[in-house]
Amino acid sequence: MLIKNGRIHDGKGNVFQSDILVQDGMIQKIAPGIEADDSEIIDAEGKEILPGFIQALSAWGINGSATEIRPSANDNDETSDPVTPHLDVRYAFNGRAATVQQLGAFGLCVIGVTPTDNNLFGGTMAVFEVDGVNPYKMCVKPYAGMKASVCKRMKDIYGKRNTAPMTKMWIFEQLQEQFRQAKEYKVEDGKERNMKLEALRRVLDKELPLFLSIDNEQDALHAFEILKPYDIDLVLCNAYDIHADSAWILENNIPLIVRSSSMTMDDNAMKLDLKGIAELYEKGLDVALSGVDSSFQIREDVLWLGIAMMKILKDEKKVLPMMTSIPAKLLGVGDVTGSIEEGKRADLVIWSADPLETYQAEIITTYMGGKAIYRKGDELRCM
Amino acid sequence: MHVIKNGTIYTMKDSSPFKGDILISDDGKIKAIGTDLGTTDAEITDAEEKTVIPGFVDAHSHIGGVWMESEDLNEMSNPVTPEMDSYYGIDPKDKQFETAVSCGITTSCLIPGSGNVIGGWGIVLKSSGDSFKDRLLKHPVCLKAATGINPKGVYSGRNQLPMTRMGIAFLLRDYLRRVKEYMEKKEKYRDEPDKMPPYDLGLEHGIPVIEKKIPLKVHTYMHDMVTVVDIAREFDILVTIDHAQGASDFYDDLCDPHVKGVIFGPISAGLFPGEGGKIDFECCKGLHDRGVKVTVMTDGPVTPENLLIYQAGEAVRKGMDPVDALGMITKTASEIILCDDRVGTLEEGKDADIQIYDALPTLYTSAVLEKIWINGKEVNIK
Repeated sequence: MLIKNGRIHDGKGNVFQSDILVQDGMIQKIAPGIEADDSEIIDAEGKEILPGFIQALSAWGINGSATEIRPSANDNDETSDPVTPHLDVRYAFNGRAATVQQLGAFGLCVIGVTPTDNNLFGGTMAVFEVDGVNPYKMCVKPYAGMKASVCKRMKDIYGKRNTAPMTKMWIFEQLQEQFRQAKEYKVEDGKERNMKLEALRRVLDKELPLFLSIDNEQDALHAFEILKPYDIDLVLCNAYDIHADSAWILENNIPLIVRSSSMTMDDNAMKLDLKGIAELYEKGLDVALSGVDSSFQIREDVLWLGIAMMKILKDEKKVLPMMTSIPAKLLGVGDVTGSIEEGKRADLVIWSADPLETYQAEIITTYMGGKAIYRKGDELRCM
Repeated sequence: MHVIKNGTIYTMKDSSPFKGDILISDDGKIKAIGTDLGTTDAEITDAEEKTVIPGFVDAHSHIGGVWMESEDLNEMSNPVTPEMDSYYGIDPKDKQFETAVSCGITTSCLIPGSGNVIGGWGIVLKSSGDSFKDRLLKHPVCLKAATGINPKGVYSGRNQLPMTRMGIAFLLRDYLRRVKEYMEKKEKYRDEPDKMPPYDLGLEHGIPVIEKKIPLKVHTYMHDMVTVVDIAREFDILVTIDHAQGASDFYDDLCDPHVKGVIFGPISAGLFPGEGGKIDFECCKGLHDRGVKVTVMTDGPVTPENLLIYQAGEAVRKGMDPVDALGMITKTASEIILCDDRVGTLEEGKDADIQIYDALPTLYTSAVLEKIWINGKEVNIK
């Protein structure tokens, strides 16, 4: 497949006119005037080509009460125990449940799927394609990170059962204690293995970054202090209450994943300071824009957050990486997708206009790994 | 006196913009609108290269009455509570009104929730002003009703009517029947006080609906909207179809004089089985093209106030003209909530609810609200 003469927004801040040669689902070559006799030619003259958006934290493909015949927990929400680092979100992912949402029609090609914020340690995250059937074939990266949380939501769930955590004291005490035990943990003959500690060991060994959800800056400060003795990769999720003057975040170069504010009836979400975060971003901090990971996630979330950022930064070249290459990098798939570069997956979307500039932008075609998963005019499915 | 000079003005009375001035009088009204207005004694706001539009009107919201577990607009002790009145459920000083202002929303229709089949009266309130009474534009503006999973979900859990859509339709029709009979008896026995039916506040609240002075405002998704139109025809009342996901399946039924308007949104989820199973922003253009009054809503604080403009933008993505989309959330919304005598367009004699942007906000995603006036008073944008 040869895409001719599109205006390419590469997701890393560059915009240029060029051709894109796609072979076996990969971007083979980017150059003007490519000739390829045996390729399907797609005329993208006057069109804008963007990388597929990447929602870093999502619950697409997760079944639960809202989608099944019996009331039950969502499959990424094992709230029988607040410490479940040994669980793997890949076993929760239903390919068809993700596909039915037609995320390609909203410009998404690849998503991070994550356990919820309702456990101190929820389990490992994974990265999936948005369209397919078999979860293992759709999986772009297993073990993208360890999901952790110090959020109040946890207390609401366990506290109501009169079990820990009822307070933030417990949450932070256990954050310390679990990592202390994981550090000291050794597999010994004749001794029962501890799968939880083995999972956390992978964080300490820097195999997995720790994606920690916070309610406010003090949460982040406490966690940072506790984790300081260990050399781990920390990503702060939600970024509520992080402001331009949160200099320590910049000094320690801790990436942020902004959760959409679509959950407004949350006093912590009301502390989202996009202006302040934009300032940190302009000083060089990695910031990704994401939706929520509850049942009430919005398919437009990443784009709408991008639009909110456009109102502050007024520059599409600055905003697009927050929706593409930066989430890819944080999820550990930056070498595979998230930008339009030679050697990357052909996760790209041809738009009629730049969706970060005008609402009149429509998707012409969404290619996920070179496969057209949505074309303008396709009917949006109904359940 | 205050004058906004040299702005690109979209009055929304006319669809094409013009470059001109707006004169705001001290009583908070638009005194004049045109070119080169005399301004000797007026304070001046320079709007050169700016876009000047009416304040946004949110035709379906609960701000000031709902926040997390604090709930003053859903009296779910009985599925039929027409005697309730949002007037008593709203805290006009709630911070959510500041958020509304920062999103350009100057007027909101505030209504009971959807836990009950009949929820009570709604009101229309400005986002800012000297007092609750000053801000109150319309009371009552509608009688709120709900169909589908919300009332079903509440009462199924209690094994009470209505556990089904059959039960909901029965309760709706039964209430309207009782109001009609109450009115007939009151008329018949006007001169015989001992035969007059006993005063019933719940039935009294239904009288303006039967008289077609206010619409029944119905929380409705997908096939339930055909039920609602059918009931509207049966009782010859006006209805608004609120939420309206799946409206594009029922254009024929919605093109009906009993349908006062369709209030689409908010988009707050992916697909669900059942009534949330179709999301069709294209219905905004589809209904508009067919002459049905259509707008979008925030349902605040269920979804945030900034979703009003994003949703208008999504209607544009689905083919609507950006100026028509602006019309949806100004003029059309004001007509649907019966306040077009005061707000919704920039015209002489109307309230000076005016916004200034650096670009047309229903077209340009990066457009930013720079200044806003409500009743002629500039309000701080948070």
